[in-house]
Amino acid sequence: MAEGTGTGTRAGAEAGEILSMSGIEKRFGDVKALENVGFDLRHGEIHALLGVNGAGKSTLIKILSGVYAKDGGVIEIGGESYDLGSPRAAIEAGVAVVQQHPELVGDLSGAENIFLGSEAPRPGLFARVNRRDIAARAAQLLSRFPIEIDLSRKVADMPAVEREIVAILHALRLENTRILILDEPTSTLTEREKASLFAMMAMLKARGIAIIYITHRLEEVYEIADRFTVFRGGRNVACHTVAEARARDISIPNLMLDSKTGLTFPPRSDRADGEIVLETRGLGVEGLFQDVSFQARKGEILGIFGLVGSGVDELSKALFGAIRPDRGQIVLKGRETRFTSPAQALKAGVFLVPGDRRTEGLTLDENVVFNTVLANLSRASAGGLLRFGANRRAATELAQKVDLYPLKPDRNLRGFSGGNQQKVVIARGLYREADVYIFVEPTVGVDIGARSRIYALMREISKDKAVIVISSDCDEVHGVADRTLALYRGRPIGAPMRGEDRDRLLHAGIMGSETGGKAA
Amino acid sequence: MIRNQLIWRLGAFAALVALITVLFAMQNSAYVSEGNIRALMRHMSVQGLAALGLTFVIVVRHFDLSFPGVASLGAMTLGWLIAIGMPLWVAVTGGLAMGFAFGLVNGIAVARLGLPDIVTTIATGGLAIGFSYFYSNGTSISQNFFMSGLLDLNDSKIIGLDMPFAILIGTALIACLLLHASRFGAGFYATGQNRLSARFAGVPTTTLIILAFALCATLASLSITLLVASSGAANVTAGNQLLMPAFAAVYLGAALFGRPSVGATLSGTLLMSMMLNGFTLLAIPYYYSDAIVSTVLITAIAIFDPRISAALRRLWPSQRQAA
Repeated sequence: MAEGTGTGTRAGAEAGEILSMSGIEKRFGDVKALENVGFDLRHGEIHALLGVNGAGKSTLIKILSGVYAKDGGVIEIGGESYDLGSPRAAIEAGVAVVQQHPELVGDLSGAENIFLGSEAPRPGLFARVNRRDIAARAAQLLSRFPIEIDLSRKVADMPAVEREIVAILHALRLENTRILILDEPTSTLTEREKASLFAMMAMLKARGIAIIYITHRLEEVYEIADRFTVFRGGRNVACHTVAEARARDISIPNLMLDSKTGLTFPPRSDRADGEIVLETRGLGVEGLFQDVSFQARKGEILGIFGLVGSGVDELSKALFGAIRPDRGQIVLKGRETRFTSPAQALKAGVFLVPGDRRTEGLTLDENVVFNTVLANLSRASAGGLLRFGANRRAATELAQKVDLYPLKPDRNLRGFSGGNQQKVVIARGLYREADVYIFVEPTVGVDIGARSRIYALMREISKDKAVIVISSDCDEVHGVADRTLALYRGRPIGAPMRGEDRDRLLHAGIMGSETGGKAA
Repeated sequence: MIRNQLIWRLGAFAALVALITVLFAMQNSAYVSEGNIRALMRHMSVQGLAALGLTFVIVVRHFDLSFPGVASLGAMTLGWLIAIGMPLWVAVTGGLAMGFAFGLVNGIAVARLGLPDIVTTIATGGLAIGFSYFYSNGTSISQNFFMSGLLDLNDSKIIGLDMPFAILIGTALIACLLLHASRFGAGFYATGQNRLSARFAGVPTTTLIILAFALCATLASLSITLLVASSGAANVTAGNQLLMPAFAAVYLGAALFGRPSVGATLSGTLLMSMMLNGFTLLAIPYYYSDAIVSTVLITAIAIFDPRISAALRRLWPSQRQAA
């Protein structure tokens, strides 16, 4: 699909340009966020924007959408020069953004959300909102795409992909939208949902809308994009067509990272006979997951693969006492246990690195020391009073151990990138000294450099503890775990396997089929 | 960098203190007399105790609108116990216990039952006011006060400090240890900022929220004890004057120092008391000072709210570059 645009002549390409940014500069205080950056976009192309956290891609997007004012440079849209000083100016210039977590009104229907802010034909207090008209206009907008969703439903009741589609339709409600920016739209989607989103993107592309696509998942670049641009340290370091990258075997991870190391998984464990630390027998919660049985041993990593909605997230919470299982048993160090709260689970030696570190993991407006010791305040205090000096030393030591960058124990967590925030959660776990570590979606929103380090840390922890990795990223589970299990619609597919083939794991988790066995 | 910021904030606080002092001293030189400063510190002691209690509730990001009503009930309980001839320590403990009990009810209703804090505490505050009428059908109580030794709580001195101020300092020290140096303090802040992540870190969030409400109501009762001691009578409307200054003190302090804390609340209380005392001295009618306290409160909330302060910074781009 990419061949057509990939072999286009340079002159032809320039003629087809809808957006051209050149010499863009942006600084925050002393920090140069963007330095002499150029970026161009052609009619009807899907252009992936790549880079590790802090590389400058979101700054560029915020300038293009009018959130930040540029300090220098030229922006041309459709041949005309624009200043784009405000979000309104960007919308009028035909630029629409769908944020990573779209801001929709949960209590309104899909159709009402699409036309939010332009419900009435005329402005004014007494201009009537015509619900039937809105529904008709929404249906008309939707009918241009090969998608079937019920726009009369409340947005709060919709699955993630439908909310994403509503947000895209909201961006497209204006006839003049020429440039659509999608910021990590697949981060909360399952594989199947991703396919329908990609189908919609292909349709938009065919209608001549240019799409800037931000993602952390590099495989998607090959799946959907025509060209990609890589940012590193506030500069545009490479722009290639996907066909060219394939033909010349260009490694995107190498472009994104300063060092020439891509994503690497640590070597697997050669020990298969460590003692069983955590075991579940027929564990289940009505409506969420059923019949989950596994054993997690010291010295190895157990991987559980399951898509969003397969029950894996709930399983992790049941193991941690945040959800009470109503069937089966949890056996910890040989004794059957029943946790009624995370505090109890922690006391018993289970530590959870939660899937959503911003809402479940961290206290973002407190510093590294605070966040490191929070899960073990009795160790952090003597006679009820905090041991400030000792805590700072311990936190600094752990921060060094997890490679926190920058190594600033007094900085608030909000000032760190996603990957480094995740390292602080891991440091907290190390400070807690648990027996079982459960990692849920450990690398969502984490750049490649930090990913490799997090995998290496998991392997290190697993040397004398049991580690369970729960993720919707099949390659992650397959790459890092010694034994794997897939969950599909709340049911385990097959038994935990040692050295499971990646494709079989993928099939089990996505289709629920176990090759050679009975289908679920 | 953090230390520099603290110096900057302390400087801003000192500048405000100096500004208010100069403004009022220019109008009336009695403002800086020893007698007035002592009166100011007494006023600050009453307001400060209520504000300290409220600080805990604000740190866990909840609201308590019941403490003025609960304080009135505490005052009437205290007065009644003295009037029927109970020893002073029983009467004071009784008043505080009444406050503590109402605080527990608030905390359990909000943290365990999940009721909305504002509406719930409006209701429990009303309930407390209703109960406070039971003792004397609403008339003020002052029997036996002179004999009981209650007035010494206002009049006596300890190591050169007036008793009320000494009680404030002592309470503030304990609150400071609890909130800033003890293992529970971290839990209060973690609960307030992100309750779910605090729970996942094993912090007993429900218990801490209940404790915050209990401390708020108990300290409000302690505050009213000092007020009753200074006025010589227990009154069903005694607590009414606590609400606005306490909120204003906590939010003003939080706005000055970036977050609610014991030190911030004391600073806020000092500023509020300095203003209210100045207005009294200039014989400005109380309704004007109410309006001014309210204006301070809303300004402080605006500065403390990160979204609003960000919006204000956008209005003055030069300031953003300086920061």
